[in-house]
Amino acid sequence: MSKTRTASLLVLILFALSACASKSPADAPAKTDTPAIEAAEATAAPVNDECLICHTDKQRLIDTAKPEVAAESESKGVG
Amino acid sequence: MAPLEPWQKVLVDGEKFLPTDHGEIACVDCHGGVQSPDKETAHEGLIASPSAQPEKYCGECHEEQTTTYPFALHSTQQGYWTALEARSVPENHAQLEEMFGNHCATCHTTCGECHVSQPKNVGGGLFTGHVFETTPPMTRSCTACHGSRVGNEFLGKNEGLAGDVHFREARMNCIKCHAGTELHGSSSDPTPFDQTQGRPAPDHRYSGSEMPKCTDCHETAAPGGDDNPMHQAHGDTLSCQVCHSITYTSCDGCHTAISETSGRPFFETEATYQTFFIGLNPDPSEDRPYKYVPVRHVPIAADSYEFYGRDLLTNFNALPTWLYATPHNIQKHTPQNASCETCHSGDETLFLTEEKVKSDELEANASVIVETLPPLVSVEKFLNAPLLPVDHVEHASNSCTACHAEGIREAPISPEDHLEYKDDNCSGCHKLQQ
Repeated sequence: MSKTRTASLLVLILFALSACASKSPADAPAKTDTPAIEAAEATAAPVNDECLICHTDKQRLIDTAKPEVAAESESKGVG
Repeated sequence: MAPLEPWQKVLVDGEKFLPTDHGEIACVDCHGGVQSPDKETAHEGLIASPSAQPEKYCGECHEEQTTTYPFALHSTQQGYWTALEARSVPENHAQLEEMFGNHCATCHTTCGECHVSQPKNVGGGLFTGHVFETTPPMTRSCTACHGSRVGNEFLGKNEGLAGDVHFREARMNCIKCHAGTELHGSSSDPTPFDQTQGRPAPDHRYSGSEMPKCTDCHETAAPGGDDNPMHQAHGDTLSCQVCHSITYTSCDGCHTAISETSGRPFFETEATYQTFFIGLNPDPSEDRPYKYVPVRHVPIAADSYEFYGRDLLTNFNALPTWLYATPHNIQKHTPQNASCETCHSGDETLFLTEEKVKSDELEANASVIVETLPPLVSVEKFLNAPLLPVDHVEHASNSCTACHAEGIREAPISPEDHLEYKDDNCSGCHKLQQ
């Protein structure tokens, strides 16, 4: 396979993959009004998102979560 | 509600969350932080509660809600301040603000605390693996905060007292009545001004339009809507809860302070007890014209905030301590709606009379204490009351006595035994002929 054909094939694969990527909020239906405050710009969650890798892993969260010391309430009666 | 383990609070359910609209947004776009496998590094600059800035993080897609919500009562907590300001003077506001920040401000609610996680004042924690719930889960959201009175009444958790019929029979949740338009607010002007109503936005849960209104669903229960003589006689003078709620919770003497040992804020309530009292509506309005309403003792006391300063509630008597209430334990049949005689027999058991009010709260409650019991009426007398002639439609008013007191225009003179009804609307018994 020539280098040119390999390069073309790679471009085609990348194009196909990009079509399968998760939808960005930018693809959401257009809004007619501009928000008063500039909204946080949204981007698609990457598949290898470190946040998700950890926060979807129950055992890892159990192992790493900081223990909470439940403070005994000093309140008495119905709030 | 059982507390969640620390890991449970932050566990994301990839299978459920990622296919949702919110799952398409990168975590760091809302929560900040850093892409790193190291926990400490990853959490640098973490924004745990992005919806504390609703316009920035929610407004792009939910513009309508984020425009109005900053002025809604769940966000502003203005209801508390309306009462505090009425009972105090501006000179005391600084100390009251300190008290409020320590004891009350945790009830401020963000978008996320209804739609994605449990409120922080009950420990927080994601509802369903970070899936955003259009309808907040009732017991993990609404009654997690509104539990000791509304929640217990609605769900039937008060011993010996049935839960609300809307829950028992229809499994209705809070949102069925308290729709998003009510909870998200409808004002976007900092004055604030309710644009949908063309008048100032509510500054208290019982100001502004009556939302929800029972007759929105029970249309025929409105005066003139059905053949129920009770609805016809009392539909505009009694709030629905007077006849359809049962015993509910009252509280006394809440005092706030900061613990000397832990440095944390705490409160103590002197008493909690079950009552059902009908009082006068202290502030009849176009939206709530009722003469009688159920009243609940709220836990305020003249020295509730004494820890923060002496005599902060200088005008304590400006508002009642027995307040207009809408108990959430509605029943079709209640002890008081079993017969006319329950209220019209001279028995003061159900009414907030002077003897039932603490002596040092009599002045505060002058506007709600029932001094004169409803007149004696029997079912037979009520049902046999003569109908008004058809031509009296032109005279439909409260001024019957203009003619019937002295027999003007040959009008029958009102019988002597009707003197006891002089403060009541004649049309309560004497209906217009159809």
